[in-house]
Amino acid sequence: MTAITLVAARTQSRSRRIKLGTLLSLVVLIAAAVLVVAPIAWALATSLRTPATSFDQPPQWIPSDPVWSNYKAVFQQVPLAGFFVNSFLVTGLIVVGQLITSTMSGYAFAMVRFRGSKALFWIILATMMVPLQTTIIPVFLIIKYLGLTDSRLSLILPAVGGAFGTFLMRQYFLQMPRELGEAGRVDGASHFQVFARIYAPMARAPMATLAVLTFSAYWNEFFRPLIFLQSTSKFTLPLGLVTLQGTLGTGSISIVLAGVIIALIPSVLIFLAAQRYFVEGIVAGSFR
Amino acid sequence: MSTNLFTEPLSRRGLLKAGAASAVLAGLTGCSSNSASPSGPKTLNVAVFTDQASANKLTKAAGTFEAAHPGVKVKFTGTTGTDWNDFFSKLLTQIAAGNAPDIAAVATEGLQLFAAKELAEPLDDYVKRDASELKSYFADVHPALVEAMMYQGHLYELPSDFNAGNMFYSTSLLSSVGVERPADNWTKDDFYDIARKVSAKGNNVVGWNWVVRLWGSWTSWMYANGGNLLTEGKYDGGDWLWNTFYPNDPAAAGRKGGWQWGDPTANSTPVVEALDFMIQLQKEGLSPTPDVGGGGTLQGLFASNKIGMAIGGGFWAGGLHNAGMAPGSFDVQYFPKWKSQRHLFGAGGYGILKSSKNKDLAWEFLKTLVTPKNMDLLSPGNVTTFPRKSMMTAQRYASTGPKNWQVFYDTLTKFDDTAPIPAPPYYNAMAIALNKRTTQAMSTGDAKSALDGLQSDLESAAKTS
Amino acid sequence: MQPARSRARREALFGYAMIALSLVVVFVFTAAPIVGSFVLALFKWDAISSPQFIGLDNFEALLQDKTITHSLLVTAGLAVMIVFLQVALGLWLALLVARRASAIVRNLFRAAFFLPMLASAASISIVMTYVFNDHFGVINYYLGALHLPTVPWLSSAGGATATIVLVAVWQQLGFTFILFVAALGSLPQDVLEAAQIDGASSARLFRQIKLPLISPTVLFACTVGLINTMQLFDQPYVMTKGGPGEATYTTVLVVYQTAFQNLQFGYASAMSVLLFAVLLVITAVQFTVSRKWVFYS
Repeated sequence: MTAITLVAARTQSRSRRIKLGTLLSLVVLIAAAVLVVAPIAWALATSLRTPATSFDQPPQWIPSDPVWSNYKAVFQQVPLAGFFVNSFLVTGLIVVGQLITSTMSGYAFAMVRFRGSKALFWIILATMMVPLQTTIIPVFLIIKYLGLTDSRLSLILPAVGGAFGTFLMRQYFLQMPRELGEAGRVDGASHFQVFARIYAPMARAPMATLAVLTFSAYWNEFFRPLIFLQSTSKFTLPLGLVTLQGTLGTGSISIVLAGVIIALIPSVLIFLAAQRYFVEGIVAGSFR
Repeated sequence: MSTNLFTEPLSRRGLLKAGAASAVLAGLTGCSSNSASPSGPKTLNVAVFTDQASANKLTKAAGTFEAAHPGVKVKFTGTTGTDWNDFFSKLLTQIAAGNAPDIAAVATEGLQLFAAKELAEPLDDYVKRDASELKSYFADVHPALVEAMMYQGHLYELPSDFNAGNMFYSTSLLSSVGVERPADNWTKDDFYDIARKVSAKGNNVVGWNWVVRLWGSWTSWMYANGGNLLTEGKYDGGDWLWNTFYPNDPAAAGRKGGWQWGDPTANSTPVVEALDFMIQLQKEGLSPTPDVGGGGTLQGLFASNKIGMAIGGGFWAGGLHNAGMAPGSFDVQYFPKWKSQRHLFGAGGYGILKSSKNKDLAWEFLKTLVTPKNMDLLSPGNVTTFPRKSMMTAQRYASTGPKNWQVFYDTLTKFDDTAPIPAPPYYNAMAIALNKRTTQAMSTGDAKSALDGLQSDLESAAKTS
Repeated sequence: MQPARSRARREALFGYAMIALSLVVVFVFTAAPIVGSFVLALFKWDAISSPQFIGLDNFEALLQDKTITHSLLVTAGLAVMIVFLQVALGLWLALLVARRASAIVRNLFRAAFFLPMLASAASISIVMTYVFNDHFGVINYYLGALHLPTVPWLSSAGGATATIVLVAVWQQLGFTFILFVAALGSLPQDVLEAAQIDGASSARLFRQIKLPLISPTVLFACTVGLINTMQLFDQPYVMTKGGPGEATYTTVLVVYQTAFQNLQFGYASAMSVLLFAVLLVITAVQFTVSRKWVFYS
């Protein structure tokens, strides 16, 4: 009897404590979320103010009289549309290239028997540890010797194959049953047909993950474009936006911020559409 | 062998051989390089420090030239950056990559850099040859600007624009503290007094603001205080030019073969005093923390009437107008007097690159660029000061202001000690060091030790270059 | 026998063909450049005139170069602060959200924390330059409004360091948050429940059960975070240009300016080699550490 009541009392007090705890944790979480979103909300709000009032305090979080002209102005002052096209072109081709090369090599390392496969895999994997920034000078020179300076291709080519994609795809292919391929071979399919018709279609989910990860890695890239590109007509969005702030001296933070907000839209849309793959990609990366 | 590998870019054909796939991709995405010039119609490539949209508008200036030279096309390529050193590094990497333009717009900042690296072609022979044709041009251009385009006795560029560091002010903010217009010979103390009164108004308004950079920064105060970052001297020579074009011009007296920037003097007393003054102004709340490099934020703050005074040149007339300031809401005056009223300036111009295969053609085009009509096309809307005195008219400034637009050019004629910013061949390293040491001084409040650091930075930069 | 061997050979050929593209890209753009860096470091070269072989002079000069050693310290300091805050905050928030059962709430927070990651660090830095502006910025405005002392964010060494740290942590928080939510979600429920019934306090539950179980994820977040932040560039490039003075002058920024602004390609390569070595050491240390205390199930 007493024991039971004791336990009951304890659970009751704990549940009250838990309720208080949950409430507190909710408060903390909401506060954190507000803090995280605030700068972007500020950028959005300020992009809707007239240039002359953009430095006025306090900030108007909800503009009483939103000015949309900054959004028009940003397209007039810089070739923003061109930056978009360049970003889509560069990122899109990198994603396509990554998908092709990584799926192929990941599959080969998982499913195909050939001499040196293990060693080559480890060599590729080792380059995953090499940060881009430490090799930028030789890469710049290689780009130069290929005659690709100041071209969008200079951003695409070095990024179309990579250790991470190969590794990720290999992990997924390793989990797939070998029997399917063997059955296909018995039915007279070539090696490539087995890959293209049987296994590759089964790898759609990891491919989507890889695509999303590659997209987010290169869509926002700043360092390489800064070094490889010279003509404004070839700039990608991040670089274009920084120059919008720099030389032009538009004198209006409202217009600069309008550019920042516009640039954010595509990645937000992609995130909303493919949220699952973003999460999977981040988690997949950690279990290596 | 290895030397070859370092300097020779792969030819277009080599690229095709090397990887057909990449070439296919190149075609697909339209990113093929223009390393090999196609035979047939000639293209003159002109590199300018601006965004591509503005660069495209410059093609108008090539209209007459292209009509007179059938089969020749002029292509303006814009490159952006925060300051000139950004543009120069882009231009240098472009040259290193074998994509050198024929003509480049290089301001005072980079003139000696390009001349010393033997990347720019001296114009002496062309100028001598076409002397009679150029007489009217030089007669219209102040000799100080021409001298700023010389190095070791040779002329490398024809000035196409310039900006002297004057003082802009908000007419409403100044009149609200009882100042209608500072006197022509106003002093540092007058300036300080106004800055204090304007800042006292509160509501986030400050007396003055500036940008951390070489042109028109605290360096203007350094000039007014009789100091400089480097020892001033002049190269011999240049008589061929002065005797031909400025024989009896008193303004050309003492002009020689270009400025010779000698040993660093970055921690000398007048220099330290100038930077100390900036620290004092910031400590007293008379100026906010300055931006580094680009002047965008400063212009925005000034245009939204948060700043009483700021250094600007002729380019601010158009700049402030474009940022939405009404004519009459701002005006300009000479820089105030400290020990002297010496001003600094920077000049822009066009030069021919040594690597160009079409130098004669480039020179023909260069001459057309400095005609009044083309200068108007190159810099529409008062975004700079024209080097041709005849182009400075009341009508030009009627729609933008400032009311006292004469100040821009008179800075050259009224003060004969007005001089270009110091820009030795190691300008890029100097610009980085200057920015770094200036922010260091502003954050620590210790101008002397920051400038001691700058002194040693400059000493080692001078040695390695 | 013959058919079996040719079959094996055909399979092998197929394998090589499949990896060829990846291999070429990795070799040309990662492996060869590593070697290239070492070679370039032996030259004095401005990328325009012909290079000059100078042996190990560049490395000798590196040892005397106060700027580069200082930048390594600056970068390491920034990296440690950023990674610590990122991991600690991400983990804390993940623990808090784990209590909220509802998936909708969890997704909402996830989206909020992830939002900054969708923007480029460069454009976020533009926004933050205005937000943190000493005189006209929002943050100092609110600090002033609350009668708190304003902070010289971008104009003092400490303020600029703090700004860079805050901006980087703020932008990357979504990454560690998602990582830890997933890791905590995959913990064996029966173990946790058993511990709870035993009356373990939540602090003990975390220290003795959850933390050891998610230690591989913690290590991963630290490794990735450290390697990324040791290459910090975008934020200082846009916000501070390395200043004030050299307070936020990160190593990659030094390399960039040395190579692409001062055109000292050889010397900058020597710096790259040094940075590469430092990163290698960090990775090695982390591997050793992981053997010691990370719990792999």
